[in-house]
Amino acid sequence: MFQVVMSPLLLTLKIAAVSTFFVTFLGILIAYVLAKKEFSGKWLADALVTLPLILPPTVTGYILVILLGKNGILGNIFTEITGKGILFTWQAAAIAAFVVSLPLMVKTAASAIGTVDRSVEEAARILGRNELETALFITLPLAKKGVIAGCILSFARAVGEFGATLMVAGNIPGKTGTMPLSIYGAYQTGNNELASLLVIVLVAISFLTIAATSRLAEK
Amino acid sequence: MTIEVDIEKEFYGRKHGKKGENPSFSMNCSFDADSGFSVLFGCSGSGKTTALRCIAGLEIPDAGAIKINGSIYFDSRKKINLPPQKRKIGYMFQENALFPHMNVRQNIEFGLKGLRSVEKTKRANEMLVLVGIEELEFAYPDELSGGQKQKVALARALAPDPEILLLDEPFSSLDTVVRVKLRKELRMIQKGLGIPVIFITHDPVEAFTMADRMIVFDGGRVQQTGSPEDIFYHPKSRYLAELVGFSNLFDDAVIEGHGQGAECTFLWSLGTGITAPYIERTAGERVSWGIRPENIELVCRKNIHAIRKENRKNLFDGTIMSVVNKGTSRIMSLILAESEDVLKVEVANRVFDSLKIETGDECTVRLRTSDMIVF
Repeated sequence: MFQVVMSPLLLTLKIAAVSTFFVTFLGILIAYVLAKKEFSGKWLADALVTLPLILPPTVTGYILVILLGKNGILGNIFTEITGKGILFTWQAAAIAAFVVSLPLMVKTAASAIGTVDRSVEEAARILGRNELETALFITLPLAKKGVIAGCILSFARAVGEFGATLMVAGNIPGKTGTMPLSIYGAYQTGNNELASLLVIVLVAISFLTIAATSRLAEK
Repeated sequence: MTIEVDIEKEFYGRKHGKKGENPSFSMNCSFDADSGFSVLFGCSGSGKTTALRCIAGLEIPDAGAIKINGSIYFDSRKKINLPPQKRKIGYMFQENALFPHMNVRQNIEFGLKGLRSVEKTKRANEMLVLVGIEELEFAYPDELSGGQKQKVALARALAPDPEILLLDEPFSSLDTVVRVKLRKELRMIQKGLGIPVIFITHDPVEAFTMADRMIVFDGGRVQQTGSPEDIFYHPKSRYLAELVGFSNLFDDAVIEGHGQGAECTFLWSLGTGITAPYIERTAGERVSWGIRPENIELVCRKNIHAIRKENRKNLFDGTIMSVVNKGTSRIMSLILAESEDVLKVEVANRVFDSLKIETGDECTVRLRTSDMIVF
């Protein structure tokens, strides 16, 4: 029984961690650019990033299947490099989690970055710091709460990801069977005992994550 | 040390204005400043802050040049535009703009990039002593009062040893007592360091008490430059006169002629003849003239007949319509007997009290020709 719970749990945490790691870096970068820069086609960039938030996960999943499939652009590159297909692997699940949780990070971080007092950033520039230093030492520390909130939301979203993951990674026990997928599988096969257990563990983990990180944000 | 600024910039109502549309605000200003204390003076929206932000590199002019002590900060023709971090400038914002997540010492040391930490500490100590906030070095900005915050902001701006200090109404949000104290301290620090300062204000008293030299802005243009005395006593335009406290301004005067040797000009205004300072205009032309309320002399009623016999020049009779106590002086509104125009007269409270006059009383005033301005 221990193995039946631990395997999907660890897999879910691994996928969510990898996804959140990349979401954090790319998300902050995109959020900064969207909050601070004026460029033509900005609305399009904003819309593209936000889209997975609005689309049904099955649609996002379907688009990812096309992109990551053997004839898809991304799938092709992956196959060229590794010699294997990416669909139905945990990496595909991580990509799905990344795509659906990125908008949460971008939206939260961008609004936090946008509210940082402009004259404080200008003061840093005049005191001899370039834009990168200003962003690292002034803007991001002051937008810290929003960035951390974005991380929590993205992580939670990645843990709970179901639809897109099912489409790009299937539900292969031990390989791509994440917590939500395993719960669905257990329920489908009438194994309510396992489903309940997994639900309790998932709720507890999610609760702890949020509690821990919100304490971190208070500091 | 010289600062030369000659810039143009247009602003549009919408964020992305198109060329060819009418700009909502256009700035075209040219001025220079030296190692003293220069004050950019003007009302809100006159372009003072924009000019200062252009010098600091926070805004880019459409055209022109900015030179500080021979080095070019901006030149649209040579396509030079130093980013703010390459300009050696100290800047104080209207709202202190301290880094809220750093304590006072960290705020001051932030601009000391490249120094060894021993040197940073030493320099920060000097700055803390200079502005007199040694005991606050580990406090965070939200634990400081408004005056203390601006002291930290000043210390932070001066720490990297800038070539020039720019201050954008740094004391406008402080109460009067603190403001007056900080003005004095800033002036002393400036004198001690010999650093050129450009200081923005819309407060005439602040401008007058601090400036070595004033540069007056209106509508994005420099209207007049000169010593505070020049600006306050000899404003060159009606707008400026109003700004610096000439609350008695009359626009319907007609030139009747000039005195001998161009020493004065005779005007017809307020229903009578007035002797005003000489202005190079021909008879019949319309001009405006004005006088400060505190420069109007109240003539004692007791010996009024003797005075009238001796010299009737610029004497006016009127009735006191209202009296407002300003604290140290009273402003009387006088309705003139001949024209029913209203003249504002400022009288020191001690004088006013000793005269025992009140609303409804009649009185006589004299305008000294040398106190009047004509344009």
